[in-house]
Amino acid sequence: MKCRRCRAPAVIDVRRHNAGFCRDCFLHHCREQVRRTIDDFDMVHPGDRVLVAVSGGKDSLALWDILRDLGYDVDGLYLGLGIGEYSDESGTYARAYADERGAKLVEVDLPTGSRVAHRAPCSACGLSKRHLFNQAAVDGGYDVVATGHNLDDEAAVLFGNVLRWSTEYLGRQLPVLPAGNGFVRKVKPLVRLGEREAAGYCVLAGIDYQVEECPMAAGNRHLGYKEALNAIEEQSPGSKHAFYFGFLEKASPLFTPEAASGQEQLQQCAQCGTPTPGEVCAFCRLVERARR
Amino acid sequence: MDGPIRVHALLERLEINRESVLVIRGDTLVTGDVQLHDDDEVEIRPVVSGGAA
Repeated sequence: MKCRRCRAPAVIDVRRHNAGFCRDCFLHHCREQVRRTIDDFDMVHPGDRVLVAVSGGKDSLALWDILRDLGYDVDGLYLGLGIGEYSDESGTYARAYADERGAKLVEVDLPTGSRVAHRAPCSACGLSKRHLFNQAAVDGGYDVVATGHNLDDEAAVLFGNVLRWSTEYLGRQLPVLPAGNGFVRKVKPLVRLGEREAAGYCVLAGIDYQVEECPMAAGNRHLGYKEALNAIEEQSPGSKHAFYFGFLEKASPLFTPEAASGQEQLQQCAQCGTPTPGEVCAFCRLVERARR
Repeated sequence: MDGPIRVHALLERLEINRESVLVIRGDTLVTGDVQLHDDDEVEIRPVVSGGAA
């Protein structure tokens, strides 16, 4: 197989694009996909300071690297989740990337450490991450939090939301969530790249990342959705892209009013000040439960 | 497994979805049409991660 751009021997094929790429052209392809996503969705404005949520895995390290290559003012944020050896190792990859490239990595530990992470399922881990990422961004004076959610992640979440017709979640499933109500802008610049491309980017860019999967995620529903979507994708390349971007274009606006009305009813959490529909936010309730 | 065998055929034989892995021979990635030989060192690296956050 030849590279689509320069006709040199290809090292990776991307069936969704019906194309193969050599190393340099593939790295260019990934950067262009991210640049286009940022432009199309107006994710980062001139002068913005960006904080990338870095886990030590392929997606977040690829995102950090690409944003740096594209010239953004971007630092990394590593959140220690306290999941034993898995977290120790993930932190090592995040620090190594920062050290080797002279990048700035902010580190925050999950309050009460492993007790939250071990007791909580993936949804509670996600809740904690969203809360602490925002807090770190506010504290550090950042304008934007960028996460490494890729096309596979977003298509799988969409699949789950559609299966259960979770209309409020569908209304909020956007690649960019504007700032407001105490939250900084949240963006997902990798949504045009599949996770195979993110992994390929790291291998070809010489970025060491944690290949091992989080032990808490094994067998979760999200992985099942990904497997189902990959079975479809194998038969019909481009299905995940069509599913997700078709949703954004044709269906998402139908659900945003419901999600927006939920946002209007927020008040400040009595304990941490984060906007919440109740008296105490979900994160503070989670930490309280873990302390018992 | 004996070679020569193409990457796609190898994955098919192992019942691995090609969307869910990268194939690395030595220290570089290889495309699905590449022929693998008996003495090649091949890593089939999963790329699917599970966090829904």
